[in-house]
Amino acid sequence: MAGLTLADVRFWYPATERPALDGVSLTVAPGDVVAVVGAVGAGASTLLLVAGNLAPRVTGGRLEGSVRTAPSGIVLPTPWTQASGMAFSVWDEVAFGPANLGVPRDEIARRVDRWLARLEVTQVAARDPATLSGGELQRVILAGVLAMEPALLLLDEPTAELDPAGAALVWRLVRELARADERCVLVATSDLDAIPAFATQVLWLQHGRVRAAGPPADVLARDDIWTDGPGATTVAGLWRQAGLAGPVPLTVADAVARVR
Amino acid sequence: MTPALRCDGVWFAYGASPAVSDLSFSLAPGERVALLGKNGAGKSTLVRLITGLLQPAVGTVWVGDWETRGRRPEQLARRVGSVFQHADQQLFASSIRADVEFGPRALGLPRAECVRRAAAALSALDLEPLAHEHPYDVPPPWRKLAALAGALALEPMLLVLDEPTAGLDRALRGLVARAVAQRAAAGVSVMVVTHDLAFAAEALDRALVLDAGRLACDAPLAELLGDAARLTPLGLVPPAVAALSRALALPGAPLRAAEVARALASVARPSRPV
Amino acid sequence: MSGRHPFTLLALAAALPALAWTLPAPWGPAATLIVALTLCLPAPRVARTAFFTAAPFWLFLFLLHDRATALAIALRLSTMIASFVWLVAILPPARLVEALVSAGYSVHVAFLFAATLSAVPALRARAQRIVDAQRCRGLATRGGPLTRLRALRALALPLVLSALHEVDERALALETRGLSAGTRRTPLAPPPDLWVERVARWALVAGCVAAIVGRVLWRV
Repeated sequence: MAGLTLADVRFWYPATERPALDGVSLTVAPGDVVAVVGAVGAGASTLLLVAGNLAPRVTGGRLEGSVRTAPSGIVLPTPWTQASGMAFSVWDEVAFGPANLGVPRDEIARRVDRWLARLEVTQVAARDPATLSGGELQRVILAGVLAMEPALLLLDEPTAELDPAGAALVWRLVRELARADERCVLVATSDLDAIPAFATQVLWLQHGRVRAAGPPADVLARDDIWTDGPGATTVAGLWRQAGLAGPVPLTVADAVARVR
Repeated sequence: MTPALRCDGVWFAYGASPAVSDLSFSLAPGERVALLGKNGAGKSTLVRLITGLLQPAVGTVWVGDWETRGRRPEQLARRVGSVFQHADQQLFASSIRADVEFGPRALGLPRAECVRRAAAALSALDLEPLAHEHPYDVPPPWRKLAALAGALALEPMLLVLDEPTAGLDRALRGLVARAVAQRAAAGVSVMVVTHDLAFAAEALDRALVLDAGRLACDAPLAELLGDAARLTPLGLVPPAVAALSRALALPGAPLRAAEVARALASVARPSRPV
Repeated sequence: MSGRHPFTLLALAAALPALAWTLPAPWGPAATLIVALTLCLPAPRVARTAFFTAAPFWLFLFLLHDRATALAIALRLSTMIASFVWLVAILPPARLVEALVSAGYSVHVAFLFAATLSAVPALRARAQRIVDAQRCRGLATRGGPLTRLRALRALALPLVLSALHEVDERALALETRGLSAGTRRTPLAPPPDLWVERVARWALVAGCVAAIVGRVLWRV
């Protein structure tokens, strides 16, 4: 029903010859968390923009193929460009999105409090967003998008500015959101080690095309993702480097189980 | 031998409460150190004290035989090459090569020397194919590497890098690790502020951990990373290599990928001669 | 002053330069400049910024024009600068947006105003970061005028480049925060508006119109 469907999508940015997306087909159902991996420039960010109805509507350019998408919220990797610049305090910043959607005042208050708590930034609620650290700001921006309660959540490197504890929090939250709230989540990330914990599907993009798609255990265990792609989890890499055969373990727990 | 960097009872406060207090440690030439700690622990303040952007209120910071007191950052740039977070915003020249040459030129070196240093720095990070590009025509990860090349081109005795691997993929992180290893082998001391413990395990040897402005721990990384009990109160999590090494009780408790892979092979196939 | 309704502050900041340019020199612009500087007085930093921004203009004008013309233009420019600097310092963009939205203006209009005003502190912070980074690469920032001029390129270019580069991203990001929704935005904390202020605003507008009309009639 609600969800994201891309059918043979090709997209060119304005005044470019080579398409940024070259025949991508994808289905994300409610409850799915799809991790998009690939080298820099492979098209992951573009895919998110297309899914978020920002390309070509805001970016310009040409789109071929069909895109069926749901109301979405997108989080870009640079939090400081996403701060509205119009909020006195973190609380107002998170309330910005819902207020624009015309959500009634008391519901806004409920949502802001809830998402501030889940992103563990309640303690900075009264501060000016311009005084926050990169990590705090990234969590505030994420809270702001979540407060709009979009059906489709698009995250572009959501942990780029976060320390390991913050990153773990976000991945946990992503998993919970998809599972409990039945949302669709599409994440572009280079944090490959975290993928087995939160993703239900992995999409490997190369030069705007889908090189591989499937559950993490399939895509991340491939050999060519190392020779020809961004690599996979550290444990998988070590297993490969050790020259060991068989189904490649993705996590420490998997490796322990395989060895014993 | 004069240490490349020495802090003697350094104390600094922005307002009422101290940002760093009673810091004392030293770095030998060629040492590779990870500066760890939670956000707000004082890491950025320490970096600003080392580069001369701040002067210690109490105590002294020595870079080689130079005190930072009374020296401006542009003078200390001869000895300290630093790369701050979001360094990709500092690029401005019309090409990456020209931007990398900026540092040596600002130091007043002859043109030929600037060109040589820039070429060496670019090749250390595999940036030659992009050297003619405008900085804003390349994706942000490559801009970060270009900023690092700019610091390498100063050919300083001490490199101070703040989160050099943030936003970089595996291949680019490897390039940074390789450049760090090359410089350290040539006698340059390297201090890296980082949350990326996997990178630290691979590229660095020693850990300085700050906690609320104080030096909470000064130990070899091999000792610290394998010990989850010591890491947790510092807000750190063992990287996958260390966790695997520990979980499988690999002989020698190795941390570098190549050693872990070797040990893993021997453990997973005990009957096969290694 | 900061407690006044955003529209009052906006009206004042617009009226002062308007009056400065329409009232006869030198007493007209001098009076408006004095008012503008008086507004800046409570925050000496603001007054200093205004002073240093305006100073180079005074120098150039007196080099280029005769005394009377130079004085007139200098006073008018200074009033403009002082008013703008004061407005940026005293009016947080958030309050302006709330006021515009409460008054029924579209969110896009509100954003346009707010973005202009909020760019300043963010740019200042970034400029400082760039200065620090370039100094650590050996850039000398103190010294003779030639040194400073050379430094300017290494400081201004990255600031402008990175800021411009972000404009696209910013537009993109804001699109996703519901700005183009077309629905009426819920005001979060509409600012209070006293009738005295309303009257004062209309008086300012009337005063400006009178000055313009007077100027035209006098000329004729």
